[in-house]
Amino acid sequence: MANKSILVVGGGISGLTAAVEAAEVGYEVFIVEKNPYLGGRVTQINQYFPKLCPPNCGLEINFQRIKKNPKINFFTLAEVESISGQEGNFDVTVKVNPRYVNENCTGCNKCAEVCPVERSNAFNYGLDKTKAIYLPHEFAFPMKYVIDDQACKGAECGKCAGACEYNAIDLGMQAKTIKLNVGAIVWATGWNPYDANKLSYYGFGRYNNVITNVMMERLAAVNGPTKGKIVRPSDGKEIKSVAFIQCAGSRDENHLKACSSVCCLASLKQATYVREQYPDAEICIYYIDIRARGKYEDFFTKVQEEANITLIKGKAGEVKEDPSTGELIVIAEDQIAQKVIEKKFDLVVLATGMAPTTAEVKIPAEMDYDEDGFVVSGAQTPGIYAAGCVKNPLDVASAVRDATATALKAIQSTVRGQQ
Amino acid sequence: MEKKIAVYICTGCGIGDALDIDALSKVATGEYKVSICKTDGFLCGKDGVELIKKDIEGEGVNTIVIAGCSSRVNYDVFDFGPDKIVERTNLREQVAWCHPAGDEDTQMLAEDYLRMSLAKLKNVNLPEPYQVDDFSKAILVVGGGFTGLNAALESARAGYQTILVEKEAALGGYVGKMYKQVPLKAPFTELEENSIPALIKAVEEAGVKVYTSATIEKTAGAPGMFDVTINQNGSTVQERVGAIVLATGARPYDPGKLGHLGFGQYENVITQAMFEEMAAAGKLEAGKVAFIQCAGSRDKEHLPYCSAACCIESIKQALYVKENNPEANVYIYYKDIRSNGQYEHFYKKAQQEGVIFIKGDVTAITENDGTLTIEADDHTMGTKSEADEFDLVVLANGMVPAAAFGEMLDAAPAQDEAAAAADEPKVSVAPIIKSNMLNLEYRQGPELPSLKYGFPDSHYICFPYETRRTGIYAAGVVRAPMDMLSALEDATGAALKAIQCVEATARGQALHPRSGDMSYPEFNMTRCTQCKRCTEECPFGAINEDEKANPLPNPTRCRRCGTCMGACPERIISFKNYSVPMIGNMVKAIEVPEEIEEKPRILVFACENDAIPALDMAGINRLEYNPWVRIIPVRCLGSLNLIWINDAMARGFDGVLLMGCKHGDDYQCHFMKGSELAEYRLSKISETLNRLGLESERVRATTVNIMDYDKIPAMLDEFAKELEELGPNPMKDFQ
Amino acid sequence: MEQKNNQPVKYDLNFAREIYSLENGSYIKQCMQCGMCAISCATREIMDYSPRRLFNLIKLGKKDEVLEANTMWQCTSCCTCKARCPRGIPIIDVMHDLKKYAIQNGYSDDPRAAFYKAFWAEVASRGKVFEGGVTARYYLIRGLDELKKAFAMKDVGLNMLRHKRMPLLPPKKVKGLGNLKKIIRKAQELERKEAGR
Repeated sequence: MANKSILVVGGGISGLTAAVEAAEVGYEVFIVEKNPYLGGRVTQINQYFPKLCPPNCGLEINFQRIKKNPKINFFTLAEVESISGQEGNFDVTVKVNPRYVNENCTGCNKCAEVCPVERSNAFNYGLDKTKAIYLPHEFAFPMKYVIDDQACKGAECGKCAGACEYNAIDLGMQAKTIKLNVGAIVWATGWNPYDANKLSYYGFGRYNNVITNVMMERLAAVNGPTKGKIVRPSDGKEIKSVAFIQCAGSRDENHLKACSSVCCLASLKQATYVREQYPDAEICIYYIDIRARGKYEDFFTKVQEEANITLIKGKAGEVKEDPSTGELIVIAEDQIAQKVIEKKFDLVVLATGMAPTTAEVKIPAEMDYDEDGFVVSGAQTPGIYAAGCVKNPLDVASAVRDATATALKAIQSTVRGQQ
Repeated sequence: MEKKIAVYICTGCGIGDALDIDALSKVATGEYKVSICKTDGFLCGKDGVELIKKDIEGEGVNTIVIAGCSSRVNYDVFDFGPDKIVERTNLREQVAWCHPAGDEDTQMLAEDYLRMSLAKLKNVNLPEPYQVDDFSKAILVVGGGFTGLNAALESARAGYQTILVEKEAALGGYVGKMYKQVPLKAPFTELEENSIPALIKAVEEAGVKVYTSATIEKTAGAPGMFDVTINQNGSTVQERVGAIVLATGARPYDPGKLGHLGFGQYENVITQAMFEEMAAAGKLEAGKVAFIQCAGSRDKEHLPYCSAACCIESIKQALYVKENNPEANVYIYYKDIRSNGQYEHFYKKAQQEGVIFIKGDVTAITENDGTLTIEADDHTMGTKSEADEFDLVVLANGMVPAAAFGEMLDAAPAQDEAAAAADEPKVSVAPIIKSNMLNLEYRQGPELPSLKYGFPDSHYICFPYETRRTGIYAAGVVRAPMDMLSALEDATGAALKAIQCVEATARGQALHPRSGDMSYPEFNMTRCTQCKRCTEECPFGAINEDEKANPLPNPTRCRRCGTCMGACPERIISFKNYSVPMIGNMVKAIEVPEEIEEKPRILVFACENDAIPALDMAGINRLEYNPWVRIIPVRCLGSLNLIWINDAMARGFDGVLLMGCKHGDDYQCHFMKGSELAEYRLSKISETLNRLGLESERVRATTVNIMDYDKIPAMLDEFAKELEELGPNPMKDFQ
Repeated sequence: MEQKNNQPVKYDLNFAREIYSLENGSYIKQCMQCGMCAISCATREIMDYSPRRLFNLIKLGKKDEVLEANTMWQCTSCCTCKARCPRGIPIIDVMHDLKKYAIQNGYSDDPRAAFYKAFWAEVASRGKVFEGGVTARYYLIRGLDELKKAFAMKDVGLNMLRHKRMPLLPPKKVKGLGNLKKIIRKAQELERKEAGR
């Protein structure tokens, strides 16, 4: 008898959607997520375009759907190690890494109060620090603390274990392996922001005030490192001007060959973050083409109508820093004015694109990838389907649509498996 | 069910330090005569849960009050099965973590919350799922174009009986007439054969029942029991289906309106669709061709939106010309090339084939000696430009959803007329265009409400299949402008949602966003006054009306928001576990101190989805706020019944605050206009308040989104301050 | 580009096709007008048109503007543009093609065209470069007026001689010069064949 359950790898918006949608049809679902929380990259986004609404709102609904549905099981800090078998009957090995905090955790924060060690906060892209034992973020689901074993001093310290009233800390916790048998697999491991260090001419990593678009989301978020205040990372000063550099890596044979689809709208949206906090700030967007497809055009139109937002047709070629002031000079060819222009800014935001996670880590099964590492659609191994940004660079609504579609593909596999 | 209530108070996470637990227990055992009231230092731990389980087994406890953390956490730990009622009293996030420990006000707050929980339980019963007779799991797909065929195929392949209705004699729609199609897979550079013939074959093989030359005359019923009257060539057939996918596509924008681009004036200025037909007929001899992008789209005078597909469609068509004659001269005039995602490869491919791309606005098209001349502003050169001797100019004339054609339904509900007369705020109504596609027998109109530009799209980024007519899912270009790859995914996604609808409905469960909810509204018709508020205000058109204006509920259309319950002035609508008396009891359970005690009371009705989590976040961040507030979660502010406010004010509350979602164009309410309706209702209550000698400022609404938790303390403190300035509610003395 | 008398610029694909048929010319078609080259260029400040604009002019068919431009002559082959071009256009190779095309089509007013010719003639005749020879050939190509400039440079020349940076007499020709010439002839033959293809 073939198995009707579905494994979803990746608990971001695509994975969550595929899992919840399949489970609400009536299928048993397992979610395997490598982070200590579900929600993926959208948890790090401040607002969605074009509505400028908070992702946590939709996530809250999705988490409620998970909480109410006994057919959904999930593993955090987990990774798929191997897949064998075929459509309708896959054996999957999942490695669950130690959280060092067990189910007793009530989320009371006593442990973090006593922890003596700090670590760079990956959730905020290193813009601030947390303790070695930490809650990944305040909306974290599940609401359980976790220990970063790279930072934690372990049993020799043990202060957290001493402070915990609920015996929730297990510094000796070991990784464990789980075996699952499922009928179909949805691979929704998403994307990574393209490494801006590779774009040497933009000075990321050398100049503190050159940041990426994903960092900008954290700077603007009320639960971010600056409590939502957009300031210069170098000195915490308010900003008077900001440049957005589009296609920082995308549409580039040397980096990401595809267009990342979302960056134009993301920058237009981030321009509204800046405008909201700094009504007079000068905002420039350097672009090749503005890709606000469909009804997103309305948002593009709306932002264009704002005062003091300039769109410059011309990819920025170089960023230099004035070391005395920390100001940045962006050099580009303004193609409409037909001249090279140099402009000074307090902050430069690189609209870095989406690199599929499969550019680095492949699916442990026979699958095809395109030149950027995106999974080619159409399952090479029947029963395994990619969903969301691991397949195409997509905005959230499109990723959700794709994940919903993929849920049906997975269901069809289990139906076929029955025959 | 005979309720056997037990109260368990957790003293962990600082609750025990903040409160006098003995005094709190006495609320349960003394005031509410609860026989079992236990405390535990770690209730969510193994021993704590065991303590409860033992009482369930030994004492027959079936109604459990957990006075501890928020229901947003430990939902799984405190799940004792579907036959138990669990009520969570939030003493942690909403009391201990946001109010000073050991304070008299903090204690009063906790005690009130426990009272509210216990009072609430009087009117909470286990829901029984609604069951439909003669239930159908069949899926109906309306529209036999690319999206419709794919939706039908995907549905059939999942094992569901599927019916496809197409108005034309042949299946295939717009795509069916194409010469070739854009690539749908890597490497995204090669033109693909038209997939329609293969799709039609697959649909037939999959056993889809196809009606061509057929239209939907009438769609009656509700999810699980839609009765669809199909008119095929004049004769009618009836089909019972469970859910519907609307895939009626789009039409090209009327080129007759593009006279400024020479259409209608010059024979050789044609549309994308006309060019497809030429290509399919093998007439590709033109040696010099121009494609003009955004012919109508991105133009305030025509279609303000971008039609999404035209750039890659024109690239494809340019490649037809090049494929046929590599020496042909092909120009594409564009604003921005929108070859999103991997279609960037397709753009580059066209460039490599020698297609010339010009970023420019076409200013004039003229004809000279039988060839066409194009004048344009070439933006990247900064010059005016001219190109002549074109044999053909193809306008990329965009798309208009099929749902946009037809007369606008004159909604004008009674409330609006009255409101207009009184110059009061109105509740916006989503426009319905009589496009003759579904002909729904719905009180609120015959088609899906449209969102903008006639597209019956979802308003939600996270939930693109959110629909305002449960069980009916729009897919493809009728829903939103999109390219074929998106339409393919959309078709499959909509098929999933349709399947999910029939499965959930069969189980008697609600669909998104209250997925799995088994409660549904029940109407006590003896007291109905036929005021039509419920039938008008239901955001999902769930309630029909008979000729005497009696409401005819359709529980499988219902999404359980409670808007009808809030609307009903006679309070005849209740859910098993959510009702006017239930909240009323909670309001009444709150102790309102006498004026002399100088402890005002503020009642807050907060939306469960956004405001309640935001309040939890305030707690998690240990943000302190006003201890006079008493918070009651509501499913949606749309379910707010004014009687609660009346009761509260009559009981001496000093103020009432509604915390709901943002409304307006970018509304965030997941039931469309709950917060807007609540504000509308508030506008009605000011008169009553004035009659009672109360200032209308005592009752107000505010919008809170889930990330506004940092603003909540100030919001509440300010309101409290303003109430203090108004002085105490004089009704206190009448208690 | 200068617009004369506000008359619209007329696109002419024939010139574009000729350029696209050069060895690396077809890469120009891939240009998506991003402007990265314009900024990467070390000599951008003295170029008439950035490579992007030059490619655009080619597309328009503005033969004179393209071939009279100093753009390709200013290119120092530093390779930055080629390394950074998002469309992978080997811009310096395109510039070499354009220089050659310009010379072949009689657009050799730029002093560097003369220098290229002089350098080439020197190599072809000797198999190596003799600075004195290149200089002489250069000024002969440039004409008598330019000779005045040569006198202005005499101090530089003398200094170089003094510091043995430049030999006074021509060095010996390379061994097997005949074979070298054969190789060159063969290469030119091949090139002609390819061009005619």
